[in-house]
Amino acid sequence: MRNHSPIFLIASLLLLAVPLNPAYAAQDIVSGVSTDLIQISSDFTGTEIVIFGALEGTDPATAIQDYDVVVVLRGPEVELTVRRKERFLGIWINRAQMGFGEMPGYYYLGSTGPIEEIAPPQLLNRFQLGAEILGETLDAEIGDEDAMLFRTAAVRNLAREQLFVETPEGIEFLSQTLFRSRIPVPATVPQGEYHAEVYLFRDGTLLTLQSSPVFVDKTGLGRRIYEFAYSSSLAYGLFTALLSCTLGWLGFLLFRPR
Amino acid sequence: MEIYLPIAEISVNWAMILAMGAAVGFVSGVFGLGGGFLMTPMLVFYGVPPAIAVGTEAPVIAAASISGALSRWRGGGIDPKMGFVMLCGGLVGSLAGVQIFALLQGLGQIELVVTAGYVLLLGSIGTLMLNESIRTILAARRGTSPATGKRSQHNWIHGLPLRVRFRRSKLYISVIPPALLGLIVGILAAILGVGGGFLMIPAMIYLLRMPTNIVVGTSQFQILFVTVATTILHAVTNQTVDLTLALLLIIGGVGGVQWGVRVGSRLKGEQLRALLGILVVLVACRLLVELVSSPDDIFSIVVGAR
Repeated sequence: MRNHSPIFLIASLLLLAVPLNPAYAAQDIVSGVSTDLIQISSDFTGTEIVIFGALEGTDPATAIQDYDVVVVLRGPEVELTVRRKERFLGIWINRAQMGFGEMPGYYYLGSTGPIEEIAPPQLLNRFQLGAEILGETLDAEIGDEDAMLFRTAAVRNLAREQLFVETPEGIEFLSQTLFRSRIPVPATVPQGEYHAEVYLFRDGTLLTLQSSPVFVDKTGLGRRIYEFAYSSSLAYGLFTALLSCTLGWLGFLLFRPR
Repeated sequence: MEIYLPIAEISVNWAMILAMGAAVGFVSGVFGLGGGFLMTPMLVFYGVPPAIAVGTEAPVIAAASISGALSRWRGGGIDPKMGFVMLCGGLVGSLAGVQIFALLQGLGQIELVVTAGYVLLLGSIGTLMLNESIRTILAARRGTSPATGKRSQHNWIHGLPLRVRFRRSKLYISVIPPALLGLIVGILAAILGVGGGFLMIPAMIYLLRMPTNIVVGTSQFQILFVTVATTILHAVTNQTVDLTLALLLIIGGVGGVQWGVRVGSRLKGEQLRALLGILVVLVACRLLVELVSSPDDIFSIVVGAR
């Protein structure tokens, strides 16, 4: 994994920070991500990435009170199915289920306060902030009341696996204008293209939004095995069976009594 | 100590997996059993998704059965014709089992079927083992030999059509029972991740009336080819075969089996068999508790790539 020193990055970004739009120059943000590539190698047990930035053209004395910062790390889209167990003849069995299409397989949102207080619902929906990522339900036969239960259950289960994190204390201010958000990335994250996003709000209005890609990729032998298994699964199956039998046979030769 | 499993997409302790392979191999070696029916539940307890545990057991069982099949092939302890008939049934069973597996996975019922299947399987095997060993122990104390099932001359199997002569088994019977037996075992192999020797061997002795000296070799011959086929079918249909996990289990198992065989030849069998029976019943009870106790969260999620 490429780990740059955050201090070095902040310094270089501050040097490069030339406001592109003079109208927003007064209230802008400069931000960066600690890495743009997370490699899932064979010893991967999860990692942490840091999104950091600085408020620009703000009054340092009141910046923390006046502005709201929201940091998001959004994973590649997946399909989510939520199932509910019911007791049947004494045994718990999955019965009703509900699908959620097109939602990120990993989602972190760190903010300077509760997200509902930072921005109005239509903005949360438009920028897919917080539980809004769950999108439309696919199963029509589930009533509205039940659908709500399934939505909260989806968030609860994703949160348990650390695949959905929403924290109103996710932004740490290092000085009056310099902030940082430390994002835990568990071992179970899906691979693909992620987006690191930084939002600047004031009084419920979005002032600026920055987004940069972060790639999560399997690497090394694990990646080869994964690609082999999915791109040519017949050959993979043959290879696995053959290799296993060879190992079993070698063991037989090695340990054969006398 | 951690290693990332590329297909299961989880991180496991590799030393722990090696040790599990060795432990199950050891038990297999001591008792002359296949290890599938112990390994799959152990992997699930450890946290491997049940679908991956079942799919990955197929190559592990293939590796475990090859040495037995090879040595018995040389010693003439296999009836190739009987093995072939059973294998034909087994391949159809494996094909059907893998499709049923995919269907159940889509319906969200695979964990239920695997768990319930193991409760029935381990519950009955454990009870039988316990019963048999206790009877043997008691008989030994009384100084008599235990009553064994009598081999009567004829049963319903001899009335079936499509009879074929199996020279090495010294049998002239219908191909339907061995093919059907192979079919059932093939389905079990694909859905539960077991070899099926525990079912096949008694059925071959008591139903088909095969001579005991070729029963084990013929069942290992059938298990080897069925698990190879199951490996390929699971890899193609369900993508549930984790190569890294399989190799760790095989490497652990190879050593464990040899060690177990050596220890087993020096130990008094019946007390140990009773112990194993108790262990197997306990695992079945643990799985049963999982089925009937209220889950922490009645909702569960499945994340699938788009």
